[in-house]
Amino acid sequence: MKKIKLLTIILGIVLVTMIAFFGVYVPVQNRMEDKVKDYSYAMDLKGGRNIRLTVDTSTDTKIKDADGNEVTDADNLSDEELAEKGYTKEETASNSQDVLNEDNYKKSKEIIEKRLKALGVDNYVTKLDEETGDILVEIPENDNTDSVVSNLGTTGKFEIVDSSTQEVLMDNTDIKSARVMYGSNSSTTSRGTAVYLDIEFNKDGKDKLKNISSTYTNSSNTTNTTDNTTNTENADNTTSDDSSTETAKKITMKIDDEEIMSTSFDETIETGRLQLSVGTATTDTDTLQNYINQASSMAVVLDNGNMPIKYTVDTNEYILSDVTQDEVNIIAYVFIGLAAIALIVLIIRYRTNGLVNAFSYIGLASLFLLLLRYANVVISIEGIFGIAITLILNYIFVNKLLSKLKKEEKVDKAVINIAFKETYKEFFIRIIPICIAVITFCFMPWEPLSSFGMVMFWGIALIAIYNIAITNLLVRVKASKKESKGGKVKDGKKQAKND
Amino acid sequence: MEKNKQKMTKKSKVLIAIIAIVIIAGIIVTLTAGLNFDLRYRDSKKIELNLGTDFNISDIRQMTNEVMEGEQVIIQKVEVYEDTVSITAKDITDEQKQGLIDKVNEKYGTTLSADSVTIESIPNTRGRDIIKPYIAPFAIATLIILVYMAVRYYKLGIIKTLLKTVIILVVAQAVLLSVMAITRIPIGIVTIPLVITVYLLTLIGLTSYFEKQLTNKNEKEKAGK
Repeated sequence: MKKIKLLTIILGIVLVTMIAFFGVYVPVQNRMEDKVKDYSYAMDLKGGRNIRLTVDTSTDTKIKDADGNEVTDADNLSDEELAEKGYTKEETASNSQDVLNEDNYKKSKEIIEKRLKALGVDNYVTKLDEETGDILVEIPENDNTDSVVSNLGTTGKFEIVDSSTQEVLMDNTDIKSARVMYGSNSSTTSRGTAVYLDIEFNKDGKDKLKNISSTYTNSSNTTNTTDNTTNTENADNTTSDDSSTETAKKITMKIDDEEIMSTSFDETIETGRLQLSVGTATTDTDTLQNYINQASSMAVVLDNGNMPIKYTVDTNEYILSDVTQDEVNIIAYVFIGLAAIALIVLIIRYRTNGLVNAFSYIGLASLFLLLLRYANVVISIEGIFGIAITLILNYIFVNKLLSKLKKEEKVDKAVINIAFKETYKEFFIRIIPICIAVITFCFMPWEPLSSFGMVMFWGIALIAIYNIAITNLLVRVKASKKESKGGKVKDGKKQAKND
Repeated sequence: MEKNKQKMTKKSKVLIAIIAIVIIAGIIVTLTAGLNFDLRYRDSKKIELNLGTDFNISDIRQMTNEVMEGEQVIIQKVEVYEDTVSITAKDITDEQKQGLIDKVNEKYGTTLSADSVTIESIPNTRGRDIIKPYIAPFAIATLIILVYMAVRYYKLGIIKTLLKTVIILVVAQAVLLSVMAITRIPIGIVTIPLVITVYLLTLIGLTSYFEKQLTNKNEKEKAGK
């Protein structure tokens, strides 16, 4: 019976090992497919999106009349026609020469890093060419990557200007923070959840907003400004609506020189906050998510200041990791080789007890690799080191346990119990600081480190559970088998003596 | 007993002297020659060749070995179709670019020309940018560990325990980085994992040492009573 028990456990371990290392292949549409879940890899092993942001060298052509006012409807006129009308062409560079310096390049890079953090990118590499100002960004490839990339090229220039004179009334320096807010809306026009971009201004900004909102008032109250809330999506409609009203003065809100809305205020804003509704209230989850993404992007851009230099996205491509599968395999084989040597040492030192524990060790390693796949742990290079450290820790545990058992003359249930208790106590007390570090790393928003933390967390948890369940059982079965064998021999000897 | 103690002190002194020499040598090498950064973190040049077909990295490696003999080269597949190769090296001259294009055209039957392939400059990654994301997590973890150490080993003297912990953690990292500086092992993708490994192993060593001391102290106290 005990022999069967031992064999069952060993067969179970062999099965788990086969699944972990070779997979489970089933025929699917004339080909064999591995049904075991694949590992999730981090950017350093999988590759990522490489983006090159180059300093914008384009020029903007503006046509001005004799008085120096901008003419917007003369784009189609030839040079001669322009000259006839007395218009002049003025070319302005997107980035003037005085802003193109190392300090501004560095500042732009810092702003990009802040945006990446705010957008929840948990692993990135940024490089700055201090001579040309080019910024290289590498980010992980996932569903949000395109949205993140679109935020990187944005300058983030925020302006509230007088609609008629184009005088800048407020800019980025007045913003304290920007965030996304939600609220339920049950107006007659739309029902559901509304998304707002909440811009909070600093002390100066608060005063300026107060002045602006008291100056730029709506005389006929027909603009859609309600309770400090202004609709951004209906910017065009608002303009056309307003044109029919008798609004005295209007402001225009611009982001990256693009007109977001043109409006006036119903009442003086004293709170220093401006809430812009993004889209209309909706109950549709996808639409709502879209609005939230739009608002989040705007909030991130406004919250982290504007870039002193205008950049354009030059290269945007997915590049695979230079760490190839072959190289990962080589590392795995080296580690398997080292583990094999270590297990042989264990067998030589502790004989059958060593052999049983070596089997148990292989089972733990296999189960650990399966656990990492099904627990969705992202494997980075740090994570691979985490796997190695976990296996080293388990080796220390097993070695400690076996040395305790070796000291005993007779290994029975009670002795095994005591040995396990003592080993657990000694081992886990020694690794408490490691556990603290591992748990801390798990919560860090930096993928390579959290990968290491998660790998080690599952590893330590497995060491604790597996050894008490499987190793303990194996050692007990093996000891009781030996005991019964010893008992039988003793009985035989006794019988012979009596005869 | 006394002899053993003397032997231990002598051994400790030798060990401390070796560690000090390694750290000093590491500092000197770092200050004079700097750390040896891996190609991925250094100023480099990159070209991308669109092969329009699936390819083996080992084939491209063979070509780069012939054209850029003895140079470290990073070869990566580009985009989802993996039919473009990105080759990064410390420097790529026009002749080397032409040589690679010729070899690629010959092997894959492509008609790439030197004019259609540009040599891109890749700026370096600053050392401080590499370690920046790790500073706060390590600081937080170490702080919590120090609190734990102070509570667990208060019998050994709180200040003494904390000082020993901090000094040994710092010295272990300094030794690692010094060895890397002296031996010119490149600072690359395995450096941070190595730093983490040394950090954790040092912690195990420290707790084992403190546990032993605590057991001895408890035994002595018991014997005294």
